[in-house]
Amino acid sequence: MTRRSGDIEPLDSETFAKAVAARSDEAHDPISSLCLACTDVVGVRGAALLVISGKRVLGCVGVSDLVTEAVEQVEYTLGDGPCMAAYKTKFPVFDEDLSDDQDGRWPEFRRGALAVGIRAAFGFPLLIDQVCIGALNLYHDRPGALSDRQVSDAQTVADIASRMLLAWQADAPPGRVAWQLEQVPNHRMEVHQAAGRISVQAAIPVDDALVLLRAYAFSEDLTISTVARDVASGLVRFD
Amino acid sequence: MAREQDLLAAFIEFADTIIEEYDVVDFLHRLAERCVELTNASEAGIMLADRDGTLRYVASSSERMRLIELFELQHDEGPCLDAFHTGVAVHSTLSDDAQRRWPLVAPRAREVGFESVSALPMRLRNEVIGALNVFSSQTALLSTEDRSVAQTLADIATIGILQERALNDAHIVTSQLGAALESRIVIEQAKGVIAEHNNVSVDDAFALLRAYSRSHRGRLSKIARDVVDGTLTTGHLSEPSPADPTL
Repeated sequence: MTRRSGDIEPLDSETFAKAVAARSDEAHDPISSLCLACTDVVGVRGAALLVISGKRVLGCVGVSDLVTEAVEQVEYTLGDGPCMAAYKTKFPVFDEDLSDDQDGRWPEFRRGALAVGIRAAFGFPLLIDQVCIGALNLYHDRPGALSDRQVSDAQTVADIASRMLLAWQADAPPGRVAWQLEQVPNHRMEVHQAAGRISVQAAIPVDDALVLLRAYAFSEDLTISTVARDVASGLVRFD
Repeated sequence: MAREQDLLAAFIEFADTIIEEYDVVDFLHRLAERCVELTNASEAGIMLADRDGTLRYVASSSERMRLIELFELQHDEGPCLDAFHTGVAVHSTLSDDAQRRWPLVAPRAREVGFESVSALPMRLRNEVIGALNVFSSQTALLSTEDRSVAQTLADIATIGILQERALNDAHIVTSQLGAALESRIVIEQAKGVIAEHNNVSVDDAFALLRAYSRSHRGRLSKIARDVVDGTLTTGHLSEPSPADPTL
């Protein structure tokens, strides 16, 4: 809807701000409007914004829709995929056909994403002067590479989003995460609680407990959030 | 022609510096030195405004220049301050009019061998962030070409400084965000550890954590970290504390 005709001028902040405003009524929170605006401006099926610190993902901070949320769950469970790669390498990562497994990258992620109808995935690092604070993840329901224009727009959007995240955080009370970033679906926090529980049960460091949780979810073909809930209820134990 | 090439070379040198990580004071010292090399000036110095708008000495091409700049600041008068406050370039000899305009600074500058001065505001749009001060041992004022070279160097300095400030602000917030995320996560982990250990709900686990941090006046995230690391055993958390009668 805010897709521009012609192919000359690059995306500017004002155009993007208008796209965010146009979506603000239907979204529940500022980050979701941001993600919806990304899909409009770049022209993809879904968008998600992840905030990451060190190796820890603060869950998926915003998603444009439920299918995207499902794909994010897949990547979060595995701890691997195009978006984590974008975060780690600080470079955009393109996987334009998830059904083409020849290069052997993240086969489990591809399987999970295809299962919910996603055919292509793209990750863009959120960079503030070479410090990576997360990733912008774009998904499409058809295979195919992004055009040069889409790549350029996605990078601009990632840049604006990084600045917006930082601006929000700049207003947060000391030591607290900005409220706009706290709109994390509850289950992501349950994952960290579960890691704490498992570290007691198995008498291992909490980081190892998270690895164990991930491995178990993968081997049982469950999402990490499902297993986290089962750990919380006592259905699954790691004694 | 040779001078234009020199200016271009300086421009490239500083553009490279700005892109990479750099030390702003070193950057400004080199800029002052280049200004002396590229113009008819004997010395050059740079003053910058603090966040509260107070002008401070930052860099100069020599000790003699540094002392004059400090003298200007100390006595709150001089070409550099005028350029900063008015946003307009100053070009003047140090005799006659100047002696009335800057009754303390002008005689002092002549004492150490200067005969003329130029001060150029470092300006971006409406904001003046400092000034480039140029002294010469000759009475002749800076030529038009020299003025434009000096102004170009002042502009380069401005861009470099604004860039550095923007990066610093972003760096601070980025690291604050990282720390806040870490503490958010470690608190959740600690809730899990306590819930499992003490066989209580996560809500009760959080209440224990908060009560302990209040009564021991410790930061919640620090105590959570200690719980997760095992340096604080969870048994301690359920101990009642005189500071908190609800437990």
